[in-house]
Amino acid sequence: MSSSIANETTCSFTDRRPWTLRRVLKTRPFLYAVSLFCFFYGWDFLARSLGAEGSSSLARPLEVLAALVDLWDNELAELKLLGHIWASTQRVLIGFSIAAVLAVPIGLAMALNRTVNAIVKPLFDLLKPMPPISWISISILWFGIDETSKVFIIVIGTFVPCLLNAYNGVRLVEPELYDVIRMLGGNRRDEILHVCFPASFPAIFAGLQISMSSAWTCVLAAELVSARSGLGYIIVQGMNLSDPAMVMGGMAVIAVVAYGTTLLLTALERHLCPWKRKIAGL
Amino acid sequence: MTTPTPAPKGKIVCTHVSKTFIQKGKQEVPVLDDVSVEVQENEFLVILGPGQCGKSTLLRIIAGLETPTTGSVTLAGADGVAREVTGPGPDRGLVFQGYMLFPWKTVLGNVEMGPRLRGLSGAKCREIARHYIELVGLTGFEDHYPHQLSGGMKQRVGIARVYANSPEVMLLDEPFGQLDAQTRIFMEQETVRIWQAEQRTVLFVTNNIDEALFLGDRIVTMEGKLPGRVQTVYNVNLPRPRDFTDMEFLRIRQEIIDASQLTL
Ligand SMILES: Nc1ncnc2c1ncn2[C@@H]1O[C@H](COP(=O)(O)OP(=O)(O)OP(=O)(O)O)[C@@H](O)[C@H]1O
Ligand SMILES: [Mg+2]
Repeated sequence: MSSSIANETTCSFTDRRPWTLRRVLKTRPFLYAVSLFCFFYGWDFLARSLGAEGSSSLARPLEVLAALVDLWDNELAELKLLGHIWASTQRVLIGFSIAAVLAVPIGLAMALNRTVNAIVKPLFDLLKPMPPISWISISILWFGIDETSKVFIIVIGTFVPCLLNAYNGVRLVEPELYDVIRMLGGNRRDEILHVCFPASFPAIFAGLQISMSSAWTCVLAAELVSARSGLGYIIVQGMNLSDPAMVMGGMAVIAVVAYGTTLLLTALERHLCPWKRKIAGL
Repeated sequence: MTTPTPAPKGKIVCTHVSKTFIQKGKQEVPVLDDVSVEVQENEFLVILGPGQCGKSTLLRIIAGLETPTTGSVTLAGADGVAREVTGPGPDRGLVFQGYMLFPWKTVLGNVEMGPRLRGLSGAKCREIARHYIELVGLTGFEDHYPHQLSGGMKQRVGIARVYANSPEVMLLDEPFGQLDAQTRIFMEQETVRIWQAEQRTVLFVTNNIDEALFLGDRIVTMEGKLPGRVQTVYNVNLPRPRDFTDMEFLRIRQEIIDASQLTL
């Protein structure tokens, strides 16, 4: 009894509640660790029980790691792992940049100008529902199997979300904010410069984020069809060699790299719009 | 059309202003009917009316953001010549019912917007903005973004932004509607203080009778149902700062309550 009271009084400065086992079990880092451990253990267990003779189509976590180390040290089609990562990233960045530089201004112009809207919208509505992957074959016919066709697919796949979000960003601007500018003596140019652009910035960035994940989907699809480098190529090679560890290693690396580019965009947005309230979670 | 129109003398003169909105289904919504209001130079005029009687619409018409369906609004320029209002302009400043600050600009950035649009140099803009930020008591918050401010502070930024543009006429649309009673009284006192420091013509819209009596030289009451019409004009010849418990204050208050069916 007396010891527990003493415990409570010493803790009371920071937190009144004592550290019971129950509370430790509920803390976030602990639950994260439990969740991850269960996932990897379950995976390992499944892989072991499926492949008793070592011919499992599900690699064990450590085998995946070993495959990645192997790719890191040894060349596959004249490139080590970093080279393949860079090959894919380069395609994504080039395609993404081309699409963003084209689509965002077009989206803004469509929202701001009726004539531009009337000219572009029917074409856009015609091409919008076409899945970007469906362009792969035609782009190979047009551009061959080298870089151009892959970049083309990425541009196609990232164009639509970039444009749509820029367009909607402008449409959803609070109209009274334009009135404020007009009351202060501003003209149409001031309205666009001081209200339209900054107000649609968050929506444009949301579009860029969606585009970025779309770009990774597209680069992977393009590389699966035909490539001599890139993360998709690693996956195809793994498949051809019946090496599940290599396939899953490629998948894991894509996830990490794609996540990295997303973080980069988030950091850029934080830097460019400091007014945005930080949204917790996710 | 047959009514003889005497030459307008006031700073703002609304003559027979009516407004009918056409909604989607071609349904006509009459919002203002034959509203004639005159605001003198450097006068503090309050428009008092219950919710949805067209007060904001009237202010937006005077601001030039809406056009009246019939009737006209004239504004006397600095040279004393009355000109018809055809659009918004920096000679009138409107404090919006919602705060309508630019969320992407700091307090300083919001307040210096008007001078910047007029093409003043950066240093000059900052100097003007700082002056008015001090006037509304927000010194030290120049670099805060609107979402970091309380409601009352946002409203003060909105007022400073309009003052910084040196309009001849200030139009305020229920600026303290969302504030708690205590902050509201404080803001009313501040408004009187600022108005006395910088004589301007003020047209202030409210639905609060005590606020109207505390602030106005004259009070125009509006009817409580659509379309909005002017009911009565009251003169409030009380010295400032006014006392909510003053006998004369309470007498006029009772008179307004008796005359309108404002249940307050
Ligand atoms: N652009 C518009 N189109 C159609 N109807 C409108 C428009 N603007 C206002 N109205 C209508 O006019 C009426 C009066 O609106 P207004 O905003 O002027 O009232 P208000 O007196 O300012 O009310 P509150 O005290 O709530 O601010 C409302 O019924 C509203 O629906
Ligand atoms: Mg209103």
